[in-house]
Amino acid sequence: MKFRDLIIKNIFRNKSRSILTVIGIAIGVAAVVGLGLVTDNLSASTQNALTAGAADFSVVSGTSNGNNGGGPPGGSNQLINQTYVSEIQQISGVSSTAGVLRTMTDLSNTNSTNSSSTSTNNTFGGGNFRSMTTLIGIDNSSLSMDDVVITNGSVYSNDNEVIIGKNAAQSLNKTIGENISISNQTFKVVGIYETGNFMDDNGIVMSLSKLQNLTGDTGQVSLVLVKASNDTDASNLASTIEAKYPNQLSTSTSLSGMNRMNNGLDVIKSGSWAVSLLAVLVGGIVVLVTMMKAVSERTREIGVLRAIGWSQKRILSMIIGESLVLSLIAIVVGLAIGIGLVELLSTTQILQGITPSFSASLILKGIGVALFLGIIGGIYPAYRASRLSPTEALRYE
Amino acid sequence: MNNENIIEIKDLKKTYENGVIKALDGINLEIKKGESVSIIGPSGSGKSTLLNMIGALDKADEGSINVAGIDLMQENDLSDFRLNEIGFVFQLHNLIPNLTVLENVQTPLIETVISNKKMEERALKILKSVNLADKINQKPTKLSGGERQRVAIARALVNHPSIILADEPTGALDSKTQDVILDLLLDIHKQENVTLIMVTHEHDVANKAERSIYVLDGKIKEIKKN
Ligand SMILES: Nc1ncnc2c1ncn2[C@@H]1O[C@H](COP(=O)(O)OP(=O)(O)OP(=O)(O)O)[C@@H](O)[C@H]1O
Ligand SMILES: [Mg+2]
Repeated sequence: MKFRDLIIKNIFRNKSRSILTVIGIAIGVAAVVGLGLVTDNLSASTQNALTAGAADFSVVSGTSNGNNGGGPPGGSNQLINQTYVSEIQQISGVSSTAGVLRTMTDLSNTNSTNSSSTSTNNTFGGGNFRSMTTLIGIDNSSLSMDDVVITNGSVYSNDNEVIIGKNAAQSLNKTIGENISISNQTFKVVGIYETGNFMDDNGIVMSLSKLQNLTGDTGQVSLVLVKASNDTDASNLASTIEAKYPNQLSTSTSLSGMNRMNNGLDVIKSGSWAVSLLAVLVGGIVVLVTMMKAVSERTREIGVLRAIGWSQKRILSMIIGESLVLSLIAIVVGLAIGIGLVELLSTTQILQGITPSFSASLILKGIGVALFLGIIGGIYPAYRASRLSPTEALRYE
Repeated sequence: MNNENIIEIKDLKKTYENGVIKALDGINLEIKKGESVSIIGPSGSGKSTLLNMIGALDKADEGSINVAGIDLMQENDLSDFRLNEIGFVFQLHNLIPNLTVLENVQTPLIETVISNKKMEERALKILKSVNLADKINQKPTKLSGGERQRVAIARALVNHPSIILADEPTGALDSKTQDVILDLLLDIHKQENVTLIMVTHEHDVANKAERSIYVLDGKIKEIKKN
């Protein structure tokens, strides 16, 4: 009989305890891998958002809250006159400009009742956050300035056509060629886009003039996207523009929009870290407690093994070996739970738009967690077992 | 050290509970290679403690103890000594319940470099000699008390020890089985020329050994030739 055969036999001795240990470790693995999948996916989308050709910053109303430019909607957005678009274009150092009108609407019951109200106030109040769709009006030639990348189909070429974000395509269950009704008007979906910003990806983009017409904001925009020419420093240019229109306009770099995205991502990341850490901690305690129990139940047997010539090192290896074997089983179980759960949730509203992808580093992380828990949770009980005095162990009832 | 002696003990003392319990209180004893000795005495007199000292399961506080040429007061890691020189047989409950008879007998060999196949061969041979060839794949829980004790004896013998230490090996058996086990131990002792030391409560068991050592309150009261 080999040593490893003995270890394997030992873990089948108390099946319910072994299962408990495996679950303890697997929870840690599942948390790290599952949450890792989600956060990796979110940050990958954010990275994608750094498209070439994107605007350097956006110009918004000086009277509105300066933090509300370009990025995901939130709070009130004062509209500005569309004439600023061409005025800013004239400023030296500006490579290109584009006017954008942004608003939100609840399309969740549009197609049945036509009661959809288009709100220019961007408040979340009336509607459910999840069912709100971002409407973006921008000229089709300027789409890349707003990070919009067509992944399927084509760009809208007239006022009756729109493109929809990949998340909106899912939540509205629409695809290319289908019609969509917004404020009693019917549009044809001609393309699917992606921005990397999960708010914007749940949006619909149409021509600026059409959205202005739809919301009654003719001649108005929410913001002007500005791209600096290659030899101009974007933040200097932004200051120049602010100085030129004191109290009228303020700027907000789209990078700061990105930063805000990243900040949000950081919150999600640290949240998932905290949850993972907690799960790992719980896993560690479960392993520790169950392995301690396994050792104390076998005290007498450990005394016998010492008496027949086993060294302390051998006892130590046996207990650590047992918890490592349990870890190996937990790797499989934990990965299956973690990936399976994300896979499952990604088909629901909760994790909409997340496509879990197996990344080697994440799997390695999961394996690392399991081995760490196996060793850490096993080492103290193993140490205790190896230090048992053989005579005391033999007297143990 | 006298070449004939496999065990030499001088003024050996062992206390427990910070000196409150004097388990061994000055033991002087010499045992010859190939001898059979019984240790008898009332409960709590120190029989098991003495046996455990000889088997290096515990360290004495004072005195000297030399077994098979090794100074047990000096060495720290004595698992090799136990593995190579000592075969322990205990009263009860000393088999690993989830292992078969054959596997139980192999457990000491896990510490050696013997190949898997050799391990099994050796265990099998010894199990045959204790008449358990037909039970090798049973779990210990399915065996009778006498059969279990025969497995324990086989395990004690598997690494060819020079000394067998048996702590009340028949204590939990009925008198008929008791005789079978006792005869087995004495047979092995004679045939293999193994030194046999067994602890017992009972005089008729003790008398089967060549010498009986009567222990009381941690001291040797009497040594008797049988
Ligand atoms: N590990 C220990 N810790 C504390 N006290 C111990 C320990 N081992 C033995 N003793 C005490 O030392 C004394 C001698 O014990 P020992 O086990 O040697 O007796 P014994 O002669 O084998 O008795 P029995 O016939 O009941 O087995 C007893 O008082 C016992 O309680
Ligand atoms: Mg005893």
